[in-house]
Amino acid sequence: MAAFELAAESAIVDDAAELARFTRWREPKDGRRLAESSLRIGGMHCAACAVTIEQALRSVPGVVEARVSAAAQLASVTWDAQATQPSAFVDVVARAGYSAVPDTAAAARAMRVAESRDAIWRLFVAVLCSMQVMMLAAPAYVSGPGELGADVKRLLDWGSWLLTLPVMLFAARPFFTGAWHSLRNRRIGMDVPVALGLLVAFVASSGAAFDPGGAFGHEVYFDSLTMFVSFLLGGRYLEMRARHRAEASLEESMGRLPDAAWRENADGSVSAISALRLQPGDTVRVAVGQAFAADGVLVRGSTRADEALLSGESQPIEKAPGDEVVAGSINVGAPVAMRVERVGADTRYEAIVALMRSARSLRPASIAAADRWAAPFLWSVLALAAAAGVVWSIVDPARAVWVSVSVLIVTCPCALSLAAPSALLASATAMARRGVLLRRIDAIEGLARMQTLFIDKTGTLTDAQEHGVACMIRVGVGDGIGDGESDGATRYDGDALRAIAASLAAWSLHPLSKVLSQQGASSLVWNDLREVPGQGICGRAGDGVVWLLGRSPLMVAANDSSEAETWLSRDGRPVACFRVVEAVRPGAAEALDALRRDGVRVALLSGDASRRVERVGRLLGVPDSRGGLTPHDKLMAVREAQARGESVAMIGDGINDAPVLAQADTSFAMGAGAQIARAQADGVLLSGALADIVQARALAKRTLRVVRQNFAWAGAYNAACVPLALIGWLPPWAAGLGMATSSLVVVFNSLRLARSR
Amino acid sequence: MDILYLLIPLSSVLVLAILGVFAWALYGGQFDDLEQHGEQILEAAVDSLDPHQRG
Repeated sequence: MAAFELAAESAIVDDAAELARFTRWREPKDGRRLAESSLRIGGMHCAACAVTIEQALRSVPGVVEARVSAAAQLASVTWDAQATQPSAFVDVVARAGYSAVPDTAAAARAMRVAESRDAIWRLFVAVLCSMQVMMLAAPAYVSGPGELGADVKRLLDWGSWLLTLPVMLFAARPFFTGAWHSLRNRRIGMDVPVALGLLVAFVASSGAAFDPGGAFGHEVYFDSLTMFVSFLLGGRYLEMRARHRAEASLEESMGRLPDAAWRENADGSVSAISALRLQPGDTVRVAVGQAFAADGVLVRGSTRADEALLSGESQPIEKAPGDEVVAGSINVGAPVAMRVERVGADTRYEAIVALMRSARSLRPASIAAADRWAAPFLWSVLALAAAAGVVWSIVDPARAVWVSVSVLIVTCPCALSLAAPSALLASATAMARRGVLLRRIDAIEGLARMQTLFIDKTGTLTDAQEHGVACMIRVGVGDGIGDGESDGATRYDGDALRAIAASLAAWSLHPLSKVLSQQGASSLVWNDLREVPGQGICGRAGDGVVWLLGRSPLMVAANDSSEAETWLSRDGRPVACFRVVEAVRPGAAEALDALRRDGVRVALLSGDASRRVERVGRLLGVPDSRGGLTPHDKLMAVREAQARGESVAMIGDGINDAPVLAQADTSFAMGAGAQIARAQADGVLLSGALADIVQARALAKRTLRVVRQNFAWAGAYNAACVPLALIGWLPPWAAGLGMATSSLVVVFNSLRLARSR
Repeated sequence: MDILYLLIPLSSVLVLAILGVFAWALYGGQFDDLEQHGEQILEAAVDSLDPHQRG
C-alpha cells in the first residue's frame, strides 16, 4: 500500500530544507522551540477519520496540537523540535492507515493523481466483477422450482464466489483497513458497520455455496455483496472527484493574488513592479503596513517587522540597517528601504498559502458537532443490527443474515458528517473564483448572519482620483523666509514643496499619498521616517528640517467639499495644503443600498474630518457616519455594537483598520490595502469592489440553507431506511445503493454552490 | 448443457484478463486527464501533425 512506502521514505521530511517548505516556526515564552507543519492526508473519506488521525497524531510524544480537516484533507501539527521529528508523526499517520505528505502544491497534485488511479482501479474491479456475478446469479432468479439442476446451481455459485474474491480481497480493502484501524485505535468509524456487513454476508454465502445443506442454508448473496461494494466505491469516487476539483481551483486562485514592489531606479525615481520581477541587488522601498517582497537586508531606516505569519512570533522584531528581513513579514514600524538578496518566485506565495492553509484546517463549530454525533450513532447501528439478527433468527432464520447485513450498510453517518464541510468548502471555492478569498471558512457563517457592517471611508468607499489635480495653497507661514532657524537662504517655491510632499508621500501606503506621490520626483533622502496611523508620515530631510505630511497640526476648520485635504508642515508649522479630488468608488452606493435592503445596518467609520465623512454618508445614504475617529475609537464602536449582541462585520483597507478587523466577528480587507489589514481580516476582496460583498453574502446565505437541507436529508434518510431494513423490506443491494446515494445527494447538493453562476 | 462447465470457468478467466488490460491502461496514465486530449485540438502548437498533413 502506498501509505507504507511513504513511511519508509519519511525520513527525508526531517531535512531542514524540506522542512522549511511546509513548516512555520514559532518561539513561545517558555523556551520550547515549536513548529507548525502542514500535512496533506490521503485516504480519508469522512469526518470520523479526521478524529482518528488527530488522536494518532496527538499520541506521538512531542506533538503539542493536531488539527485535521476532513473536508480539505489537511492536517496541521504543532510539535516540539526537541522532542520529535516530522518523520515520527508521518509514520504514525501511515500506521493508522492513511498517507501524509508535506503540503506543497506539487506533491499534492501527484497525490491526487495516485489517489484517483487507485480509486478508478478499485471501482472498475468491483463494477466488472459485480456485473459478471449478477449474470451468474440471474438463472437462480428466473428459473422456476426444480428447473435449475443442483449441479449447475453449484457451478454458478462457485463461479460467483470466484468472481467475488477480487472484490472482497482488493476492491473492498479500503473498508476493511479503515475498519481495522479505527478498531485498533479504540474508535468506531463509518467503515466498521460496512466491513462487518461485508464479512457476515461473504462468510454466510461462502458457507451456503460450498455446503448447501449446512448451517448457513443455501441462499447466496454474492450479487448483493459485489453490487453494494461497487455502489459504495462509485459514491466515494464521485465524492473524491468533487473534492479534487475544489482543491485544485482553490490552489489556483491562491496563486493569483498580485503583489507589487516599489523598486528604486538608478536615477532615484521609484517604479512599481511585480514582486516576481525583483532581482538580487535591487533596492526596494517598503511602506508601513506592506510586506517585504523578498529576503534581504535593510539599507535605510530602522523599523519593526511583524513575522507572526511566518514564525508565529506575535511581537514585532526590531530591525536596524544591516539586519536581515524575511519575505512575507510585514513592516509595522517605519518606512524603510531594503536591498534584495534572495528572490524566491514563491516566497510571498508561500505566505498566502500559509494563510489559506490556516483557514482550511480550522474546523467550524457546525462540523465539530457532526463529529460528536458519529460515534454514538454508529454504536446504536451496531446494536440495532445485532438485535435485528437475534429477533429474525427466531421469527424467520432464513432472513436473519441479510436483515442484519442490510441494517449495517443502510445507515449512513457519512451523509451527516459531510453535510456541513462539503457545503462550506464548495462555497469558499465559488467565492475564491469571484475574487473573495476566505482565510477562515467560518467567515461564511458570519457573513450570512451579520447585522451591522462598519465600513472605512478612504480607500474602501472612496478612491483618490489619479487625475484629480492636487491643488496647492501656499499658506505663507514658515516657508523659509527669514525665520532664522535654517540658513536663511532656503526658499521653497511651489515646485520644491510639491517635490518634498511627493517624496514623503512615496513612503506611505495611504490612498491619498499614492496620488500625491505622482506630483513630483520622489528622490529626496529622508532620515528617521515615521508613520503614525491616522496622523501622517514625518521625516527629517538632509538639511535637518522635520517635515510632516498628514493632518493639519492646527486643526484648521474642516472643509465640506469633495476634496480631501492633506497638510505639509515644516518643523510643526503648516506650510502648504494639498487638495485631492476624492470620488466614491463606482458601485459602492448600489452595494450599500443592496445590503440595507437585506437588513444590514451600515455605518461609516473614518479618521477624516466629521463634516467630510457626513457628506460622503449623505451621498451614499448612510445616516450613521462617524468621522474624526482614531483607531481606538473605531475599536470602541465595534465593541459597543458587539456588546449590544449584534453580529458585526467590518471592511477596511489601512494600517489603522487592522485592530478593528481583528475585533469584528467577520472582517474583510481590500485587496489593494495594506498587508497587515489583509493578515488580520477573515477574507480579502481582491478586486476591491463592494458589490462582491453583496454577492458573497447572498452565497453565504444560500450555503447555510444548503447545510440545513443536507442535515435534513441525512436525518430523514436514516430515519426512514433503518426501520425499513429492520422489518426486512430492504435487501442488502438496495441498502448499498441507498447508502451511496444519500452521500452523493449531500455532496451534489453542496456542489451546486460551487457551480452557481 | 455440458458446455456450461467449460464456458463459466472460461468467462471467469476472461474477466481476470480484462482486469489486467484495464490496469495496464490505468497505470500507464491514460485516465489521468480526460480533458487534455480533447483540448489538444484547440492549442496553437501544430507540431503533432505529420509532415503530409501540413498544407
